[in-house]
Amino acid sequence: MSLDHIVSVTIGGLTVGMIYALIALGYTMVYGVLKFINFAHGEIFTVGGYVAAFTLFSLGANDSMPPLMLLGALLLALLAAIAVPVVLGTLVERIAYRPLRGRSRIIPLLSAIGVSIVLQQLIILVFGPTPITMPTFGIASTAVDVLGVRIRVLALVIIALSALLMMALTYLVRSTRIGKAMRATSQDMEAAEMMGIETDKTIAFTFVVGSALAGVGGLMVVLYYGSLKFDAGFLYGLKAFTAAVLGGIGNIPGAVVGAIVLGMTETYGVSVDLGFLAWFVVAGLVLGLYIQLVRAPQKRLSHIAPDRRTPEYERSIVGVYRFAPYSATKTLLAERTDALLSVSATHAMRLTLGNVFLAAVAAVFFVNGSVRIDTRWQPVITFVVLMVILMFRPSGILGDSITEKV
Amino acid sequence: MVAARALNSVRAIFYKVPRSAYVIGTLLIAVAFPMLNAVGVVETAWIRVGVLSLLYAMLALGLNIVMGETGLLNLGYIAFFAFGAYTTALLSSPKFDLHWPFIVLLVLSALIAMAAGFFVGLPTLRLRGDYLAIVTLAFGEIVRLTIINLPSVTNGPNGIPSINAPRPLGMKLTDTLLATNLPESLKNWLVIDKPVEYYYLVLACVAITALLLTNLKNSRIGRAWNALREDELAAVSAGITASRAKLLSVVLSAGIAGFAGCLFAYYSNVISPESFVFMQSVIVVCMVVLGGMGSIPGVILGAIVLQALPQIIRESAGAARSEFEVYRMLIFGIIVVVMVIFRPEGLLPDKEWRREAHEADPREIESTRQSLFTLEEGEKDLEV
Repeated sequence: MSLDHIVSVTIGGLTVGMIYALIALGYTMVYGVLKFINFAHGEIFTVGGYVAAFTLFSLGANDSMPPLMLLGALLLALLAAIAVPVVLGTLVERIAYRPLRGRSRIIPLLSAIGVSIVLQQLIILVFGPTPITMPTFGIASTAVDVLGVRIRVLALVIIALSALLMMALTYLVRSTRIGKAMRATSQDMEAAEMMGIETDKTIAFTFVVGSALAGVGGLMVVLYYGSLKFDAGFLYGLKAFTAAVLGGIGNIPGAVVGAIVLGMTETYGVSVDLGFLAWFVVAGLVLGLYIQLVRAPQKRLSHIAPDRRTPEYERSIVGVYRFAPYSATKTLLAERTDALLSVSATHAMRLTLGNVFLAAVAAVFFVNGSVRIDTRWQPVITFVVLMVILMFRPSGILGDSITEKV
Repeated sequence: MVAARALNSVRAIFYKVPRSAYVIGTLLIAVAFPMLNAVGVVETAWIRVGVLSLLYAMLALGLNIVMGETGLLNLGYIAFFAFGAYTTALLSSPKFDLHWPFIVLLVLSALIAMAAGFFVGLPTLRLRGDYLAIVTLAFGEIVRLTIINLPSVTNGPNGIPSINAPRPLGMKLTDTLLATNLPESLKNWLVIDKPVEYYYLVLACVAITALLLTNLKNSRIGRAWNALREDELAAVSAGITASRAKLLSVVLSAGIAGFAGCLFAYYSNVISPESFVFMQSVIVVCMVVLGGMGSIPGVILGAIVLQALPQIIRESAGAARSEFEVYRMLIFGIIVVVMVIFRPEGLLPDKEWRREAHEADPREIESTRQSLFTLEEGEKDLEV
């Protein structure tokens, strides 16, 4: 694990993360406003990529063009990659989502799944089932030296452009009139309507912004990887959704943070030796032990009512955390009536199980020290992250409200 | 207006026929269908379509438990199907040179799928509806990718070929019976390897499953599931243990999927991860939505319509299979959106849905009156 390896993997992770972030923002904004997972968002992204590649193709863009014209072609592709998804996103919202507003949670989700299938098949019908490939560009593969590592310029451009777009979005949501309307709508749609906000228009605008960002993401993927398949939207969409949940759904900075964390996890997960990764697990284990032995007992002790505060009682609660597996079951059996003790015992049990799990993972990693995770497992990593985060901390890293943090 | 009145009078005629008549009629048609093949009216290919439709009907019945009755969306349902299919394929094929008996595998497939359902359901069921859908989706994809990435066990993307033909009576008994001088027509049924034989096998399984599920639906458990779907808080306040009831529904539906998976593995002779992609889960969801969430005849109808109708259209249009697949999925997507917007109760709605749509069923009013009457007589217990 040399320094240049770390740098290149980090840049790679950051690039992928930024692309995820662009898509994730659409999920998170729609969720923030409507409390609804726009399952068709991944397909909107694919359409963006396809349209961009198609534009470049039909303009005949290649390296022999004069640089200015090439730039013009790229800009045109960018415009197309924004315009078509925007129109599509608005249409989808109008046709398939608006009539279902206010219905129970899974009904709009079903509709969104239907829309996603329709869009995917439409892509096949329009562009054909073979993956669309980019005309080859010198720009797309030129590289520069950063800290002695060759890095593609395109990666840096993607990172910069995405960061710029995100700053613009933050400004839009925080400081403009329509942004204020968005925040109000997400907080309480009925009240916003009473205050004279046109919620229908605001929601449509949310879809417009989300689709535009996804379209840009599509262009970037096409440029970066050189090709796109019609069903790519499914995996990208899910990864972006994972990122959105990871950061806290409905929360704009959260989506960016989550996307970067996810991108890094993916790239580090498959490009680093397991022995190296084991140190991260060990760090997690140390944190887990700290929580179990120091933090959690302290917190529990503060729950003891003043009239029951005796040294023996405090010791028994701390003891539950110290020797959880044995003592917890024993105390549970002995003092079933004591709510605080039994809650502490279950809590301690869970913490211990978590720590044992981490220790086992670390041990496995150390034993297979020089082995790397196969790239084939990369999607699996994402899905596992998604399941774990939804099961254990559905509110994500930064909490799940658009209004609190922005 | 006139059209609506005409529709109502037609509906009234349909309601006059007792419900059991419909069930018996459908069963008779289903039993008679392969005989058309024997006479020579339909080709054998249609029997295959029939078998697949019935397999999907079984899957739809299973998914209906979670989606229709309990109101939880499971987007990784096909993973349980995969558990069943791979259990059967690994234990009854030359891959590990294991040849377990049919009945054992039928039960074992269901049990393994149920175990998988239990372990997924346990931590995830406290999630809200839409999050649960995504978690199950992730689970389904993890299962599929793991199957692809473990070639040493599952042959990876190539799949497991030459799965044995099922012998319902077991190896030894079948062999001894084959050696005796039974009539040839009876001997054929000892080893199930023709589409017609599979058809009857799967038909019997679907009929039994549907019967059991109908009873379950009208039991205490079924009512608990419906209560959870309508209003979880109210249901919990009424004394239903939400987690246990939900877990039961997930485990049961997984079991049915595993059961169907076992039959599928036997029927298709070779299975590969391609049969267990996300789209398959979505297709089963489409079937349940089309037929009517929570309605057992509805989901069977949905499965048959969505599996057989595209084949009929394709046959009459004379399109190639690969080309047609695009249109088929396109139609599926449109069906889901249209149904959800305009007729969320489905083609053959469940009675609770129908009540919401204010479409009174005279039979039902009569039966309610009857049951009230019997209640007054004190014949039925009041326990709900």
